[in-house]
Amino acid sequence: MVLEHEIPEGSKVYFGEIAKRKRKIESIASELFYQHNFEEMVTPIFSYHQIDSIPHEKLIHLTDKDNYPMNLRADSTVDVSKLMLKRVGRTNDNSRWFYIQPVYRYPSIEQYQIGAESIGGGELKEMLQLNIEIFEAMEFQPILQISNVAIPRKIAEELNLSIDIFKNIEIKKILALQIDWLQELLYLEDVKDIDRVFDMSPQFIRDELEKIKELVESLNYKEVKIAPLYYTKMDYYNNLIFKFLRNNRVFARGGNYSVDGNSSVGFSIYTDEILNQES
Amino acid sequence: MLTIALPKGRIAEDTLKIFKEIFNREFEFEDRKLVLESGEFKFLLVRNQDVPTYVYHQAADLGVVGLDVLEDKGLDLVRLLDLKGGYCRVAIGMRNEDELDYNKPDIVVATKMTNIAEKFFASKAISPKIIKLYGSMELAPVIGLADMIVDIVETGTTMKQNGLKVVDTIMESTTHLIANRSSFIEKKSEILDLYSRFEDVINRGGRV
Repeated sequence: MVLEHEIPEGSKVYFGEIAKRKRKIESIASELFYQHNFEEMVTPIFSYHQIDSIPHEKLIHLTDKDNYPMNLRADSTVDVSKLMLKRVGRTNDNSRWFYIQPVYRYPSIEQYQIGAESIGGGELKEMLQLNIEIFEAMEFQPILQISNVAIPRKIAEELNLSIDIFKNIEIKKILALQIDWLQELLYLEDVKDIDRVFDMSPQFIRDELEKIKELVESLNYKEVKIAPLYYTKMDYYNNLIFKFLRNNRVFARGGNYSVDGNSSVGFSIYTDEILNQES
Repeated sequence: MLTIALPKGRIAEDTLKIFKEIFNREFEFEDRKLVLESGEFKFLLVRNQDVPTYVYHQAADLGVVGLDVLEDKGLDLVRLLDLKGGYCRVAIGMRNEDELDYNKPDIVVATKMTNIAEKFFASKAISPKIIKLYGSMELAPVIGLADMIVDIVETGTTMKQNGLKVVDTIMESTTHLIANRSSFIEKKSEILDLYSRFEDVINRGGRV
């Protein structure tokens, strides 16, 4: 039985003070996006391309008038990129877009997101700085995690290991390989130790470690944790990634990614998580 | 500060013994208390099945729990270390006079571990009717509620005493040290330090 006042589990109702705070966060973000020459894009709630980035079981499935499968938008990045590259790009040469819209996941999860994409190029450093700027304007300073998914990918390839070892953080298997530099990478969390580990590391990951170092040193952020062996489950990220977290909440996530062979960079801020943290 | 969720009973006692061995001081819950703070550690006494939940929601950074419970909960957690103790099997039990036939069209399974059972039968392309029970599992086949049960077996004595036999093993289980994924980033050095100390004890024959 469904009660008259009942709403589905995972869906959101904001009103009064908290709705005001939500609007304020979105307003702070949009102001800063415009200052940094981003334009807004609103993408359709219905999408054919969600399966490119989100696992099947997390999608809400529908069919179109020809009975072709489609989904409710579960992630904005892929559609923003595809729309820019295949449609908007014909008449608009801007490659910097932001969106403020919810995503929907199975069975009835709604998530409000604020995101920015620099499509076909762009510097991760600049996008991360913009994310930090938004948080600073909100007087919000979670822990910043920096990783580079190319590191676990290259290690898995070179050492003929399953990437699942890194995806599932299987420490025992990593340590059982008895490789000094790999052990050091597992323990590494402070950028001041990166040079020492760099000297021990094999050539095939040195450039990727250097990217982490350069990124962290370019920032002026209080609490940074580097996790070089971290591997994200988001399939489209392919190089440097960042994540803002604290108390089991992830507040934002971003990185380098590739859609249809185009290298891009972007991030998403999870508005609900910030509101929950504040309340 | 690391917060560690422990299941009430033997596992909590054995875990605290290892802490005592590592840090050379007493770790003991006061009578009926559910929280123990000692130096840089806070321990929580919770129900066995709730350990993964506490860790998943970061109410605890770490937890000690059986692999069977972890598999059944299916939560995204870091499995740090096999503590090698608490060995048991998750097995299928049937009445002594029945034969196991996975080709039977309507299989009815009684279990408290519904996720493990579902995954196991799905891997065999079987879609049984699964009845969730909370205890006295052995009764289900005997009175005709189910064709078989999926349950924890340590020695097999309980099944035997109730006229049941083990017909198949789904998985083997031992106790594991687990961590929350965010804690593993936020408190990595503390967690890895504790990991290596625990590993030393386990390698020297210690068990939880």
